[in-house]
Amino acid sequence: MITKALLEEVLAKAMSTGADFAEIFVENTRSNSIYMIDGRVDSITDNTIAGVGIRALLGVRCVSASTIDLSREGLLRCAEQVADVIGDHPTALDIHLTERIFPDIHAVKIVPDTAKKATKIDLLKAGYFAAKNYSDDISQVSANLLDVDHNILIANSDGLYTEDRQIRTRMGVSAIASRGGETQSGGMSPGRRMGLEVFDLFPPEEIGKEAARHALVNLSAGYCPAGKMPVAIENGFGGVIFHEACGHSLEATSVAKNTSQMAGKLGQKIANEKVTAIDDGTIPNGWGSINIDDEGTPSQRKVLIDKGVLKSYMIDKLNGRRMGMQENGSSRRQSFAHSPTSRMTNTFIAPGEDKNEDIIASIEYGLYAKKMGGGSVNPISGAFNFAVSEAYIIRNGKICEPVRAASLIGTGSEILQNIDMVGSDMQTGQGMCGSASGSIPTDVGQPLIRVSEITVGGR
Amino acid sequence: MEKFDILKKIVKECSEKLGIAEYELYYSESSGIRAETFRDEISAFSSSVGGDLLYRCIVNGKLGYASTQYLDESEMEKLVARAAENASVIEKDEEAIIYGGAAPEAYRKVPECKFTMPSAAFIRERAMKNRNLLYAADGQIADGTASGASAGQSRTFLFNSNGLDLSSFTGSEGEFFRVVLDNGEEKQTGGEYLPNGFEKSDDERTEKIEKAIKEARAKFGAGTVKTGKYNIVFKNDQMEAILSTFLSAFYADNVQKGLSQLKGKLGEQIASDCITITDDPFAEDNTVQVPFDGEGVPTYCKNVVENGVLKTYLYNLMTAKKDGVETTGNASRGSASIGTRVYTFYINKGEMTREELLKKAGNGIYVTGMKGFHAGANAVTGDFSIESEGFLLENGEIGAPVKSFTVAGNFFELLKQITDLDNELDFGGPGGTRIVAPDALVPGMSVAGE
Repeated sequence: MITKALLEEVLAKAMSTGADFAEIFVENTRSNSIYMIDGRVDSITDNTIAGVGIRALLGVRCVSASTIDLSREGLLRCAEQVADVIGDHPTALDIHLTERIFPDIHAVKIVPDTAKKATKIDLLKAGYFAAKNYSDDISQVSANLLDVDHNILIANSDGLYTEDRQIRTRMGVSAIASRGGETQSGGMSPGRRMGLEVFDLFPPEEIGKEAARHALVNLSAGYCPAGKMPVAIENGFGGVIFHEACGHSLEATSVAKNTSQMAGKLGQKIANEKVTAIDDGTIPNGWGSINIDDEGTPSQRKVLIDKGVLKSYMIDKLNGRRMGMQENGSSRRQSFAHSPTSRMTNTFIAPGEDKNEDIIASIEYGLYAKKMGGGSVNPISGAFNFAVSEAYIIRNGKICEPVRAASLIGTGSEILQNIDMVGSDMQTGQGMCGSASGSIPTDVGQPLIRVSEITVGGR
Repeated sequence: MEKFDILKKIVKECSEKLGIAEYELYYSESSGIRAETFRDEISAFSSSVGGDLLYRCIVNGKLGYASTQYLDESEMEKLVARAAENASVIEKDEEAIIYGGAAPEAYRKVPECKFTMPSAAFIRERAMKNRNLLYAADGQIADGTASGASAGQSRTFLFNSNGLDLSSFTGSEGEFFRVVLDNGEEKQTGGEYLPNGFEKSDDERTEKIEKAIKEARAKFGAGTVKTGKYNIVFKNDQMEAILSTFLSAFYADNVQKGLSQLKGKLGEQIASDCITITDDPFAEDNTVQVPFDGEGVPTYCKNVVENGVLKTYLYNLMTAKKDGVETTGNASRGSASIGTRVYTFYINKGEMTREELLKKAGNGIYVTGMKGFHAGANAVTGDFSIESEGFLLENGEIGAPVKSFTVAGNFFELLKQITDLDNELDFGGPGGTRIVAPDALVPGMSVAGE
């Protein structure tokens, strides 16, 4: 691998034209995925991702370069490209790297990359056939078992030299239900920052059964009605509402450039007092957890909103400079080929004091959104959308018939005020969040909440 | 490339050592350079050198795949061994195929790509010049306004044990203009892309900038719409987004796996008479011309839908074999499988002008922005419900801006509901896979708003 002496040489080269900071990010990732469809193992993904990203800062100017050429010449050429663009004052620096080891709070028992393929295939088949055999109406199932062994090394001109190994395992089962020419789908895909022992928490049979149940509910559902109404959003992946409606707008990526609706609002009341929201990268084995961020800063627990008042942003080094604020362990990147920026880790609405039954009983006519799909947001306007993948009509305080193909839309500032009941049973859901620095694992979460009014896009 | 020749030789030796008779090596290397501005300076500059070495082989009649970014000689032995092990656990019973090659004349000759990468200094300067044009263009320009310039090139090599040895080279460059306008009450955005623009005149750039500003300005003061049924005209880029979302329904692989509503519909009317959909690997305005697909098969132009009738699915060798037909040359090369791709995939234009189309729509909504397809649409069922913005149509005239509503429907019903298309197609854009469509009129769609 790359020696410490070479890293020092490369950093000095990147700094050689006057940059005030340089960083090198070395990645070696093993990624395995087994995919089943039609009842058989269909394909195996077996990738090795390896390369280096070099970044230099001069004030708020940022120049980055990446390469897969890990030879001394390749690395120096990459650093030289950075130096050529960042500045023009010849500077000679002597960089000395000191190793720092941060505690690993995410224990892994069974390293998936070293497990037998047959073991993993047995786990996957258990999930697959639990879905397929759930009902005669399940016409097709696909399933995959993904494991990632992501090794990073970060060294910078401040002398930091540190490493982290991030192991993640996830199973996804997707079921298709068909009856009389109608086709609907359902799925479940839990994961954790841990090894194959994740399936003690989530037995594959239960993942498969849940995917099939979900598809069958939608098969018997009519179309969702359209219009404004109160909505109760269930815990777990329901937390995607906060992720889209507010989380992205609190990333320094957009705050620092004044392109976020939340810029300049620290200390102000931006949400209903029932809302306390947290981004916490330190949850042991959480899907979005990290020991250190991709700049080598230890992960933190950040209260973003405390009883409706904006307390904190998610900040990386570069945008921290723009904002005059300290980075707080929020810098993340998909790979060496992406430039890091502030992103979420595990982000959730904290438990409140309302009872679930009171929340449902309070709605005369509205929607109970039990499962959510993904969503997206425009941080400038705060306009967001996300999909509901399992929903029921609430009539006179009771959950009634299922409806399908709904989406919820609104703006962040509006929805945050409208979250007026918050239950106590917080659960998380796993997602892959795509944004400026690529696709990264993030957790969303919340207890059951009530949104007093939101536009439901049915038909 | 010398490096690839060395890797070929090593992989050949490693494969033979393990008794592997049929194998294939696919290498794509790319490099890119990109600059972006913020306020009055370059805020981000990046350059990249990347590459993926993909290997697959047949062991006991099954295909195994593996890939790496380490291009060391010592890595090749591991790569071959991993793929062979992966082959041993594959259970699907389709016949494993590695292409034997076609006669050289079967591959269409495309003009040699003469692209050369511009220097870092040039890209930086280009982005700054554009930035100055942007900030001079309007008094309401606000933070977040950015311009950028980028260039990239990629080289692909395909070598297999059946005698195939192909390569291709493409390069392209482009500039983008992103406008944020602040009128004191709200911010709105607009954006334009200028492909292959470096040799173009500043007049063309100014034209793009004015278009982006016009787009942002028109959105100021947007109102809402009442929930109900409306005649909808999807602007071309929105129709393109819809088509992209449901494109996979045309892939034979999805049809065969029961994941497409087009199953059993070959030769049937699946769309209005006015719909003809073409897939063209050699579209004139696309800088990326593709003479061979991901399996090395020669490509050609074909109609997928003709006057509303489904003519063919899109095939690779494996899915074609399953249906007893010839491949359509639409294989994509993934790191773990052969998939399906399109080239320039477009709905042929209609006969009306945009004005005539809007006139025919009468009262309704001209939808110019839709967001969240990755979540709000189901590619299998065709159902969608999407956050949208646009303009009211009043007696065929574009009226007040509207936002915060959803348009819901089903793609497969939509294909039949489209009554008319306008006569403009915009093939300009970044090179590579392009989905293109004209404006389309769909009467009586469900809209959720106030």
